Amino acid sequence: MKVHKKGYLLIELSKTDSIWDYELVNRALKEYRRHGSIWINTFRVALDELAAAGLINSTDKKLDDGSHVGPEKVLFKYHLTEFGRTRMRETGLL
Amino acid sequence: MPQITLDQALQKHYARNQRWGFTWAIWVAVLWGAWYVPGTALWFEKPFSDIATDNQAMMLGATAVMTWVHAIAVLMFLLLWNLMLGKVKDYGRTLFRFRKISKWYALASLCGGPMAIFGSYMAMGFIGPVFAAITSLFYPVVGAIIARLWYKEKISSRAAVGMVIIIIGGSVIYAPGLFGEVESSNPNIWLGYLGGLMSAIGWGAEGAVAARAMDVSDPDTGIQCRFTFEVLFWGVIILPMIALFSDLPIADFIVATVTESGAMLWIVLASACHAYSYTAFYKSFSLIGVSRGQAIGNLYAIFALIFIAAFTLQLPEWYFIVGLVFVVAGTFVMFSEPAESVIQLRDHEATT
Repeated sequence: MKVHKKGYLLIELSKTDSIWDYELVNRALKEYRRHGSIWINTFRVALDELAAAGLINSTDKKLDDGSHVGPEKVLFKYHLTEFGRTRMRETGLL
Repeated sequence: MPQITLDQALQKHYARNQRWGFTWAIWVAVLWGAWYVPGTALWFEKPFSDIATDNQAMMLGATAVMTWVHAIAVLMFLLLWNLMLGKVKDYGRTLFRFRKISKWYALASLCGGPMAIFGSYMAMGFIGPVFAAITSLFYPVVGAIIARLWYKEKISSRAAVGMVIIIIGGSVIYAPGLFGEVESSNPNIWLGYLGGLMSAIGWGAEGAVAARAMDVSDPDTGIQCRFTFEVLFWGVIILPMIALFSDLPIADFIVATVTESGAMLWIVLASACHAYSYTAFYKSFSLIGVSRGQAIGNLYAIFALIFIAAFTLQLPEWYFIVGLVFVVAGTFVMFSEPAESVIQLRDHEATT
């Protein structure tokens, strides 16, 4: 059984030092065979929630030129925090 | 070429998250307030209207049956919601991880279901509905304290002031009705106080526990997990126990409830309000935090009276306006926080 979507985002983040949100969202879209702006936004909101809770933080930001999410949107490069890693261990995701 | 700078785009991004968080929290209040109309009307339908109000055991048994049937209907509305969002499989994946993740939703359902609802009915039954309403208003304080102590949720001074103003506003609306309701000669009054405490602690703790589970799971699927457990707690443990250890005709009462079209109509309407109010409740926690989400959710005190006035055509007392001014002021104080305050809701160090 596949892991739930927020868990998947965390697992992918744990495999790398940091990753741009659009790369991570593209991976998730492929994994769950989803497409369209609604799902892109759903995954981006999940990343916002993870950042607000302190499980991940952004190490870099840039403006989208329209080739990823949409013009004038902010793209974030995310990194799993130590707290995020701890929470993943506690919840069986690591 | 982008027309705005990165800083301006970031400001827009954070402001949008903050606005969504508060919008969800206001929907909590609107739908929770709307719930009081079908929730109250239900007591005037058979089989509930046939119970003598002084028959405490039967009233509590009926409440348990009502809560279970209501929870099943809520679960159906949540299933519909997640079907539309394409999250049903994610619900199964989250529920399946019981030992590590969904057990927290089970605990949240115990806090918000049997503990808070039963406590609230105790407060209503042994003291009165006004006392029950006032004690429930204090649940954001409990939620904020637990969230602060347990996982270091940041509570800015402006958020705390806003919360206090909203609670004062809610109390102003209900407090005058309290005079005459609390009778010190009542030998069972302590059960009412205990019930009030259970409801404030139960609902406050539910928010904090659910937010802990939502660290690694989705709010839409989380709320469905929470109601799955509530249906199981009432249907598999509590109701069978009541049926086994008391003389209450629980099975007959269940049949009488589900075959009574009037009662079922109000249960379905109440469940729709409750399902989407709770969905908005959980969604607000992950965007603006438990303390802000619960405090804004407290505006239900205002909306409940507005909806009841609209349906009964009985205007609230003059002090409703005073309470309204307080809660609106408290909401503005909270919303006037800079959008950056919700970027990072916890005090964890941004360790690398």
